[in-house]
Amino acid sequence: MSDLPLTGDAPVARRRELFVGKRFSRWLDRRIPPKDRITLSQKNVFIFPTATGFAFGGLVALLILGAINYQASLVYGVAFLLGSLFLVTILYTFRNLSGLTLELAGARPGFVGEDVEISIRVTRPEGRAREGIQLGWPEGILQWAELTGQVSDTVRLYVRAPSRGYFNPGRLLVETYFPLGLLRAWTWVDLDVNALVYPRPVFGDFPRSVSGHRDEGQLIDPLGSDDFSDIKSYRPGDPVRHIIWRSYARSDELMVKQYASYVEPRLWLTLDGVSGDLEEKVSRLTGLALKATRADREFGLDLGTVRISPARGEAHLEQVLKELALHGLR
Amino acid sequence: MASADATVRAPDAETAPAAAVGVAHQIPRNTLALLMVGQTAVILPYLQQLSIWIVAVGLFCGMWRTNIYLGRWDYPKRWVKAVLVAACIAGVALTGVGAFSLEAMASLLVSMFALKLIEMKNRRDAYVVIFLGYFAIAIQFLFEQQLLLALYQVGSFILVTAAMVSLNQLQVAARPLPSLKLAALLAAQAIPLTLVMFLLFPRMAPLWTVPLPGSSVTGLSDSVRPGDVANLTQSDELAFRVVVNGPMPPPSQRYWRGLVYSDFEDGGWKARERRRARDYPLPRSTDLEYEVLLEPTMQTWLYALEHSTSVHSNVYLTLDGRLESSDPIMSVFRYRAVRHDKPDSPAPISEQIRIRETTIDPEANPRLQALGRALIAEHGTPMAMTREILNRIRREPYAYTLSPPTYPGRDAFDGFWFEGRSGFCEHYASAYVYLMRSAGIPARLVGGYLGGEVNELSGHLMVRQYDAHAWAEFYDPELGWFRVDPTAAVAPQRVERGLSAALSSADLASLPLLSSARIGNWDLAGSVLRWMDSVEHRWNLWVVGYDSNVQYRLLGDLLGEVNAARIGIAILIGGGLGLGVVALVIFWGRRPVHRHPVERAFRGFSEALAAYGYVRRPEESPAAFVRRVADEVGLKEAQVGPLIAELDTLLYNPGVAWGGRELRALRSQLRRLQFRLAFGTTR
Repeated sequence: MSDLPLTGDAPVARRRELFVGKRFSRWLDRRIPPKDRITLSQKNVFIFPTATGFAFGGLVALLILGAINYQASLVYGVAFLLGSLFLVTILYTFRNLSGLTLELAGARPGFVGEDVEISIRVTRPEGRAREGIQLGWPEGILQWAELTGQVSDTVRLYVRAPSRGYFNPGRLLVETYFPLGLLRAWTWVDLDVNALVYPRPVFGDFPRSVSGHRDEGQLIDPLGSDDFSDIKSYRPGDPVRHIIWRSYARSDELMVKQYASYVEPRLWLTLDGVSGDLEEKVSRLTGLALKATRADREFGLDLGTVRISPARGEAHLEQVLKELALHGLR
Repeated sequence: MASADATVRAPDAETAPAAAVGVAHQIPRNTLALLMVGQTAVILPYLQQLSIWIVAVGLFCGMWRTNIYLGRWDYPKRWVKAVLVAACIAGVALTGVGAFSLEAMASLLVSMFALKLIEMKNRRDAYVVIFLGYFAIAIQFLFEQQLLLALYQVGSFILVTAAMVSLNQLQVAARPLPSLKLAALLAAQAIPLTLVMFLLFPRMAPLWTVPLPGSSVTGLSDSVRPGDVANLTQSDELAFRVVVNGPMPPPSQRYWRGLVYSDFEDGGWKARERRRARDYPLPRSTDLEYEVLLEPTMQTWLYALEHSTSVHSNVYLTLDGRLESSDPIMSVFRYRAVRHDKPDSPAPISEQIRIRETTIDPEANPRLQALGRALIAEHGTPMAMTREILNRIRREPYAYTLSPPTYPGRDAFDGFWFEGRSGFCEHYASAYVYLMRSAGIPARLVGGYLGGEVNELSGHLMVRQYDAHAWAEFYDPELGWFRVDPTAAVAPQRVERGLSAALSSADLASLPLLSSARIGNWDLAGSVLRWMDSVEHRWNLWVVGYDSNVQYRLLGDLLGEVNAARIGIAILIGGGLGLGVVALVIFWGRRPVHRHPVERAFRGFSEALAAYGYVRRPEESPAAFVRRVADEVGLKEAQVGPLIAELDTLLYNPGVAWGGRELRALRSQLRRLQFRLAFGTTR
């Protein structure tokens, strides 16, 4: 597997222009319908000379012109050899893509504004090696698939995630210039990619939740004032209201009642607990979920429609992030 | 992860992060190595044509690039490039060739090629160098067309193609050898199609006039002074080959006329006549058909036997009865010619021509002039006078030698005829013509080749530069132009058996080694050279000399009729076949079925069992299938246990090595089990 970020001659933006045409897109949908596994054949591979190919054609024409003017048989020979080379290359370039099977190997979720990792498995038939195959999305970077020594290669592609929810990056470009760079064979395949994109995290402070029940809770805030918790001797600074005057009358010793708040120890992430519009709220909750996991705190999610009981750990986090990502979109 | 925007920036944006941008547009080292080797290979054959300046610049650039490649030096500064460009232009100017000559073009091409080498940074530059390389390979063929050069250039072609292949391979994995192999394969697969196009692509007449290669070619010139032809004997270069349809004429009949030197000027002879013969008496009976494959002469005159005509579209007959080409001969030129019988009544010559053919310098060679006048007065007819002159040459102590004394001054012919009396063919022919003209008889010097050597391997005649010869013709109203070879009088062996027979041992020793071998002094070397010549001849016959005339004849034979539709169809069919063969090679066996040998052995067994009703289920491994069958039939564990274990081991245990012996043992076990099942069950 190579991670060389290699692009061909044309900048990706130009390819996108070609790609975006609505009509072309509709035509493509009919011609190469979305599938999670596509084997390339003459039905879905396009081939056309590159700029280099046209220059090569110009060279051949120039040589034929020279051969005519100089009546030189061997110059004709060179020109025809080059021309034949070009024609043979058509077969090679097409053969290089034809027969390849592309399938989605997996997609690792990412956050909005970051890159989502999508793995594509490229498999070639047994036999002849395939060389110089590049794939990628118009928005991302083209990667090379290594299919010389091995029959199958998994290529990791990174695409910038635009918004939360399930993200389909559109059609995947698979192209090759092999063997001479005179022709480009390419195809646009839709592998039905659905990569999960989490909301962009916004980090803030944990909300101080004050609700809760004694039997579930844990003492967190000893200076709270909800419930009686203990009696201890007075120290200057204790609230005068808390002095137990009856005990003072009996023992001449100042005792104070101690109250404590039973703060909900397991954090509940709710839409009401954060400010902003829906997207901002979701972003804030995402940030809190990340922060809580980092601090190894238990937390639960309550979005009204969905409720996930408090827990901790990566698996839990993923579940919470997924719900946040999809909230309001289904 | 670098941002996507950074990676799509233009290749020359220097601020772009190197790691993200550079790799895509850099030239892989593999490509660089192949390009440097390929470029050297392409430039080498040019060493003959180029000035030492260009070669020096090329070498310097190669050294610089090698150092860049090794990481020692940086790319050259702008002023260094400027100096190099100036050196190249000076180099082209100093060669002394015209600004628009072919040599100048070739020099500039090679200079560009070399200079681009040190400038080459990105992939587009690499493509420019590759295209220049192809161009340089083709241009070299304007100078030379030998088979050996062509084979060499195939090698260069593969090297350059390999560089192009390597540009499109995965860079971290690519090595020169696989790139070369693939390039060679591509070239090999392109050859059938190339042949089809070569045969069928219509050959056209030149569209416009182009600068020609300089005339630094050995051969006859259109002006002759005594001594010139003798110099040609120092060269064993091929002048032309001839294929004769029918028996080969004897050596003494093989006078290949090339030039007719009618004008006497400043003590030498000039051939100027280029006009077409208007009313040449045609047609006459055909005596001999032959085809000439003329090596490049950069001149327009052609060589043919006397009284020959040609139907080649580019060849015409001149007023003085020679064949002439419309365009200079730049590569091997193939033309058919027919020798006719001598006309019964010769055409009279015009007064203008009579004057030209009798002109001498009245001041020069007074003794020869006097002798000529005396001889015609004594003998009356030109024929009788000729006989007397030849008799005198035979009788008196005249000598035939390659290295005669120099005869200086205006009266050089007098000096030869009356004093030195030793000379080469042009001395004798010149003196003879001078004598005849002094007598008022039209006579002229003829230059060409005499004899030639037959190559037994392919039956063609090879005529080399050392076969160059000069003889004479005089005009008689009864006979027409009549050939006289005074050399035959002094050295009859020259005419009968070739140059070597006529030369003294001192003259032979002065010849270059290869000429000496060719002339027949060394048998073994001579036979090798003849074999090579025979191969080269076929190359010229079918490849280099393949022009519109040959093509028309060949296509006429192949297609019956030559018209655009038939050629078009032939191109389509031939091209389709050529490409189809390649497609078959590429796509056939694209998915070879690699079945495990044990599976293959087992398949026969399970197919045989299917006939008895035991069908293997798709999900069953061979061992499971045997186990099930054995259970159903009620075989004992001892009867199938070892086989089942063996099957599992061979198929699924990669740690156990096995070979043909184990496989044979397994087959025999399977056969035994099959036998047992066939006779042990009623199903």
